[in-house]
Order: sequence, then structure tokens, then C-alpha cells
Amino acid sequence: MNIELKDLRFNYGKIVALAGVDLSLGEGACGLLGPNGAGKSTLLRILLGFLKPDRGEGRVLGYDIRRDPFAIRRLVGYMPEDDCLIPGMDAVTFTAYFGELSGMPRQEAMKRAHDVLFYVGLGEARYRSLETYSAGMKQRLKLAQALVHDPKLLFLDEPTSNLDPQGRTEVLDLIKDISSKKDISVLISSHILTDIEYTCTYVVILNQGKVAAQGDIEALKEIRFSLFEIKTKGESGSFLRALRDRGCKVEETEDQILKVYMPADMPRREIFEAAVRENVQIRMFLKSRTSLEDLFARTVGVD
Amino acid sequence: MPISEQGYSHWTGTFVERRLPWWPITRLGIRMAFKRKFFKFAFAISFLPAFIFAAGIYISERLEDFQFMLRGRRGSTSFLEVNPAYFKSYFGGDFLLFMMVMIMVLAGAGLIADDLKSNSLQLYFSRPIRKRDYILGKMSTLAFFLLLYTLVPGVLFILLKFLFAGSFKLVANYPWIPLAVLLDSLLLTLFFSFYTLLLSSLSRNRRYTAILLFLVYLFSDIFFGIFYGIFRKPGFCLLSIKANLQQVAAALFRVKPPFDVPWIYSLLILAAIGLACGAVLVRKTRGVEVIT
Repeated sequence: MNIELKDLRFNYGKIVALAGVDLSLGEGACGLLGPNGAGKSTLLRILLGFLKPDRGEGRVLGYDIRRDPFAIRRLVGYMPEDDCLIPGMDAVTFTAYFGELSGMPRQEAMKRAHDVLFYVGLGEARYRSLETYSAGMKQRLKLAQALVHDPKLLFLDEPTSNLDPQGRTEVLDLIKDISSKKDISVLISSHILTDIEYTCTYVVILNQGKVAAQGDIEALKEIRFSLFEIKTKGESGSFLRALRDRGCKVEETEDQILKVYMPADMPRREIFEAAVRENVQIRMFLKSRTSLEDLFARTVGVD
Repeated sequence: MPISEQGYSHWTGTFVERRLPWWPITRLGIRMAFKRKFFKFAFAISFLPAFIFAAGIYISERLEDFQFMLRGRRGSTSFLEVNPAYFKSYFGGDFLLFMMVMIMVLAGAGLIADDLKSNSLQLYFSRPIRKRDYILGKMSTLAFFLLLYTLVPGVLFILLKFLFAGSFKLVANYPWIPLAVLLDSLLLTLFFSFYTLLLSSLSRNRRYTAILLFLVYLFSDIFFGIFYGIFRKPGFCLLSIKANLQQVAAALFRVKPPFDVPWIYSLLILAAIGLACGAVLVRKTRGVEVIT
């Protein structure tokens, strides 16, 4: 198991950031989702040892997060969300420098810096001053410094922020390559649900400092709710109320199609019964494919 | 730009446990300092007092060849006598202290400020280095330059004196000089390092830090001058960073302090400033800014 957390709690003064997180993550790529203030960044910071948890236990790659933060940092690569490049340096010096700080011998760090810069597509620009780098190049360089010491586990915080569509696709392809073919597990914290859906097979959704849902993305989409698209004829106001009373979440699209999120334990027959009672004709009834966006919206209760 | 021009390969080497984990930080700091505009010029100019004092040591042993320089003081034995006062003049010299501040402005102002501005502290602390390694790495960068202007010339002066005099009379007459050179060098280095890193950690802008470094040093001396001018009390020398450093230097070399104030007060003030700087530094350097 790469990450194991048990009842992890952390407060910023009176503000609760993590309210008892229990988590077990294995190998592969895992997405960490959640609205702003859900505790994603705090969780990453605790895993890296930047913050000490108030309560609870945790292990990363078998090392205790309280007692062995240095052993963890040696085996983990971290790509922060913010721009964090040191001005006045070139990419090779920058990457080799952080390799050396990770404990690599100087010459090997330099050689390895060249290798990873070629891998992330900065081979030609590796001697250019970092001030001249575009947003996409900066993201790749941040990824290179996270990879330079060949970590077993990568923490990526919003890896595609500030990128244009092409740059985003390229970085996502890299992440997918790393997690699927290079034996490096990846934990990606992101707001962009499609990025998570593209790169990860497993997802953890945090909400208000707690794990709201976790599991295999496809399985979660199936298990947690069913989504149906319904078209009706007649006065649908009372029908919608009846569905909501039964625990369904209903959205109306611009072309008058009702998207009905049914609880997993609710038989679909009840929808037809409600339609009969409220004197509404059902003209279309389709089981819709659920996206991660649907799952996220349903789990954290936002549209 | 094509992605994955070259495939990813795992690193097969082994990590090393460095005895000095902060050394890469120091090395980078020194390298980056030499990339700054005007630094090389200031770096070279700062050696001027050392060259002059070294020349003075040579002349002191060849006085008969330099009689023309003595003018009205022919036959004077006190001219260019290499004694503790000579060393104190070097270590407490206004120009040297000023140039040390300039070197701190050029090489030290951005040491932490740049990391704060670029958010790179989180990259440092995502590596297996401790807070003390980070601070030591940055301090050692400053110590490298400061010791070049203090300890290295101090030791060279002693060696040059041995060489030119052909005897060890200097140490025989004044046995405390080597220790005083060492202690005063360490005092100057520690004080200026803490002072620079503190101000560097207080701002994200290296220019503000540079201005602060310069102004605090300068104004502490100006205030002393104003108060001393009005009240004529030497105790006001404790307000001045420069005067405090000169007081302690005089005490270490066992010469009369420039102001009639116990030197221990100056030492205590410098130590208090250093401790306060250290305490603030430890609080200010961390992987993430926590606001509660």
C-alpha cells in the first residue's frame, strides 16, 4: 500500500481542514478531487511532512508521516501548483540542484537532469534561462524536478493549471505515461475533472475535510447513483416535486430534458408510478452515461 | 515541442548521506552571487583594505627604503608598527565594514527573499533537508564572502609579518592576536550573516531587503552621531551597529575602545540582535505559509 491514513485530523486554528481522513491507496494513478477548502492541499502537505497532523496516523510507502518525513521525501516527488522556479538559473542547473538536494551524487544528478529534461520535452531548451520559459515549459520543468531522483510516488498539485489545451494534453500524456508504464504511482490533486478522468483509474473525493467517496472511477459511477434522461409531456412541476421527495436530484436542461439522479436503492419503476399519479406522460426514458462530473456533483452536492 | 523525445529510464544509483547536506545550497548561493551585476566589482574593491594593510606590513619591515614617505616623522618608531592596534584598524575599519554591508546587499539580500518570491521553499522542503540545513546553507554563502574579507586577510597578515620579519616576534609579543583575528572574524561573520538573512526573510523583494540592509546599518550610525552630538554621552554608541562592532574588535585586540563604554554591552547588544534574527529566521522559513 502506498498511502495509508487513519483518522487524520488537522485544524488551522479554529478552521477544520481535515476532519478524520481514512484512506488506503495502492499503486497506479489516483485523483484527489474536492471543492475549494475541501482539504486536498492540506492532505498533500501533511503527506510531505510540511504540516504535522493534530491527530491520527499515516504511512507513505511504509514510512510513518510523523517519524520519517525525510525518508518519505527521498522517495516522493512533488510538483507544486504555484510557480516555484528560482530565477537566474537554467533548467539543467535547476533540475540537477534539486536532485542533489534529494541525496543524489552531484555528477549523477547532473546526468539525470539531462535525461529527465529530454523526457519531459525540454531537451532543446535546457540551457535557457528559466525567466524565458512559457507556462507550459514551466509546468514540464516542475515535473522534471519532481522526477529527477526517480521517485516511487509522485504528488502532482494542479499539474495542468495555466496551460493551453495543447500544453494540457501533452502534460496529461506525460503523466499517463509515467503512471502506466514507469512503475511510478501518482497522486494528482486537481479541480479539472476531465484531467482526472483522463489520467486516473482511482479517485478520492474530499469534502469538508472528509473522504466523501473513494474507489475505482468506473465502479463508483455505477454504484453510487443512476442517471436517467427523461422527456415528459404535461405539467411537470408536481412530478418533479414527487421525484425530489423520493430522494432524486433533478436538473432540467435547456432542451427540456430532465436529468434525474436516482439513489442506488431506488427502483426505476417508482418514476413511472409518480408520472401516473401526477398525470404526466413520459415520452423518453434513457439511462445516461455518468461522467466524473456527475459523480463529483452528486457527492459534494454542487451543480 | 515533442513530448517524450527520449524514454524515461529509472535511476540505478544510490543516494548518499552527505555530511554537509547544506553544501549544494551554499555552492549555488556563491555561484548566483557572481552572476549579479556589479558584484564582481564590489567583490574586488572589498579587497582593497586587505591589499593596503598587506603592503603596510611589507613597508613596516623595510622602513629604511621608505623614509621618503615619513616627511616630518623621520626616525619615528611608531610609524606602521604592526601591533594589535594595526589589526584592530583593519577589522574595525569604516571602509571594510561598509564594503561588507555592500557585499551583503549584493550577494545576500535575495538569498531568502528570492526563494519566498518564487515560492521555491516548498521545493527545498519537499527534499530530505531540514530547516537548519537550509539556513546553514544560506548562512555559509555569506560566511564564505565574509571570511574572505576577515579571517583570510587576518591570517595572511600574520603570515606575511612572519615572512617579512623573518621571526615570530609578533606572536611572541602579542600572543592573543591569532585568537583575536579568529574571534573577531567569527563575530563579524555571524553578525552580518544573521542580520542579512533576517532582513532577507522579511520581504519577498530583494530590492526592499537591499535598501533595508543598507539603511538600518547607516541610520543606526547616523542616530548615534545625532544623539552624541546633542548629549555628548558616549553611551549612545550602543545605538550604532558599526560602533558596537568596533568596540568589540578593540576589546578582542586589547586596545583602547573608541568610546568610553564597557565593550561587553556592545557584545551583548550584537548577541541579542543575532539571537532575535535567528529566532525570526526559524519561524519564517518553512515549506508552507500557515495562517491561522
